[in-house]
Amino acid sequence: MSARDAILAKLKGAAPDKAAADALLIAPERPAVDTGALEAEFLARLALPSVSASHDAIDTVADLPAAVARYLAAQGEPHTLCLPRDPRLSACDWSGFTLHEAAAPDEVATLAIARLGIAETGSLVFETAPQAPMLPNFLALHHIVLLAVEDIAAHLEDAPLVGAQPRAHYWITGVSGTTDIEGTYVRGAHGPRFLHVILLRGAVG
Amino acid sequence: MSGFTDRVDLALADRILKVAVERTAGTAEAKRAVAVDAFPDFEAARDRAAAIKDHVVAHLGAYLEQFEAKAIAAGAKVHWASTADEACRIVIDICKAAGAKSVARSKSMLGEEIGLPHALAEAGIGRVETDLAEHIIQLADERPSHIIWPAMHKTREQVSALFKAKHRSPHEEETIAAMAESARRELRTQMLGADVGISGANFLIADTGAVCTVTNEGNAELSLVPPRVHIVTAGIEKIVPSMPHAIHMLRMLARSATGATLTQYTTFYTGPKRADDRDGPEEMHIVLVDNGRTKMREEGLAEMLRCIRCGACMNHCVVFRQIGGHAYGGTYPGPMGAVLTPVFDGLKQSRELASACTLNGKCQEVCPVRIPLPTLLRGWREKSWREGLEPTSMRWGLGIWAWVARRPALYRFGTGVAVRVMQILGKKGWISRLPLAGGWTRYRDMPKPAPQTFMNQYKKGRRT
Repeated sequence: MSARDAILAKLKGAAPDKAAADALLIAPERPAVDTGALEAEFLARLALPSVSASHDAIDTVADLPAAVARYLAAQGEPHTLCLPRDPRLSACDWSGFTLHEAAAPDEVATLAIARLGIAETGSLVFETAPQAPMLPNFLALHHIVLLAVEDIAAHLEDAPLVGAQPRAHYWITGVSGTTDIEGTYVRGAHGPRFLHVILLRGAVG
Repeated sequence: MSGFTDRVDLALADRILKVAVERTAGTAEAKRAVAVDAFPDFEAARDRAAAIKDHVVAHLGAYLEQFEAKAIAAGAKVHWASTADEACRIVIDICKAAGAKSVARSKSMLGEEIGLPHALAEAGIGRVETDLAEHIIQLADERPSHIIWPAMHKTREQVSALFKAKHRSPHEEETIAAMAESARRELRTQMLGADVGISGANFLIADTGAVCTVTNEGNAELSLVPPRVHIVTAGIEKIVPSMPHAIHMLRMLARSATGATLTQYTTFYTGPKRADDRDGPEEMHIVLVDNGRTKMREEGLAEMLRCIRCGACMNHCVVFRQIGGHAYGGTYPGPMGAVLTPVFDGLKQSRELASACTLNGKCQEVCPVRIPLPTLLRGWREKSWREGLEPTSMRWGLGIWAWVARRPALYRFGTGVAVRVMQILGKKGWISRLPLAGGWTRYRDMPKPAPQTFMNQYKKGRRT
């Protein structure tokens, strides 16, 4: 008997009732979020010490390069950027920047578009796609994220995609941190040490 | 003297260990309390979390089959293992077929449980532990002492010395930040160069076939995205019906483990990379491991299968806080470890773990899935008694006590004498040495009892 058959033979039983599984999700206990003030709620969570991300705001996507330049200059970093091949980003005027697509092991900064922001936790939601690699978002020292204000949702339950799933669906809530030595918090354990969110008042396009 | 009491003696004599454990567990306890207070209705949320897990365990076979079908449809290969050895063999075979010389491993307690680090070493495959704490204990050639903070037993001074001896370009400044930076430098190239990435799973999502990992360091993603092959080893109880069920459990996990509202990085992996994806592994393998879990479900330990490995029970355990994790001798320490270790190692080898519990119930009070840990520990004690595993001295002692206890006059006389003797021995409210109970007073004082027995006081009270 294969291990599969042996395990399943011991677990024989009635198929789960979908209604019973769904009943377990009625009115879940979760932090309250003012749905009339999602941007303020999201920014409040973003500023918590556990998330400690900075933010800026722009009116149109065309303002993005200037906002990125402003951030990198303030950090004392060169205008060098890992930019995924996303038509919404390539449409901007990046003159003055040194751009590359693949992230180097010691990548300084990368830019990505979040599909959603979650007000409950200050999380940013991403999915892998041909125009959205995953590795740069974990490799770079500075993770810069574009998020449309209209894409801020209230709770984590708003994040999952319905239907076919991408290779990876991931939530980023702050910077890479560790408390592995004496419980003391240190930023930038393996991944980004800085997270900067650029809020877009208009649509991403 | 048995292995357990030897290890406890060593732990109690180690003053540095006590400081190290207290620093991390104390911080975790305080942070959890703040997070739980800020949650709208944590008690109702615990009921819900327990109900979700009970529902899954009741329908485990059907959910596993659903998960398997969805994972295969997404392009993953699903393997099944009844035992730890079988699970290791499957992983090693996948690594060999991939021609792997090195693997990057993201912390997984299931991996420790099945002995994967050892199996990889035996197969001659290099292993890079990418979680900072696992990296520390790999360098020190030790075992984890906690399921969330595996290097909790080490002080910063010890970590500093270790990194200076083993890292290629170690830190110069004696700060924790500089030490973490040294590990970042050391591990980054090794992670990016690994042939295979191995992780555990915090949750398996039945209706999508996704595997969920959570980390605060981002080391899971850095270990699992660059290599050509991703292998997941997961206990079969990690299933949840859907993403929204996982979301409820994630809220409970983060608050109970570290006091956070959510872990920094939460990722759901569904199959290998798609045709046009820019990165991700070409192969994804998921090894579903039983290793005693179906037996637990059949033999009165189904409630233990609710466990989401948050570590709150050990952070709040008065015994764990005194002896640390290594003294328990198994993969899992603390109260949950004392319940699980007899399953993996046999009750004969580990029956003392259930006895090394004060039954104060603190673990059950903080468990996010309401596992009745003291009840399960008492179950092991009873089984140990029934199977004749308790030593002769214990059987005789209890036999004599039971004989006396059934004779009230004799019992009252005996306790009356004991109380008078203890009054003489006690100084300033405490007894520091007790004849015939030296083991009890070697590491702590016993509170001096009331001047009279309960029955004496009761009789006096009734007369007035």
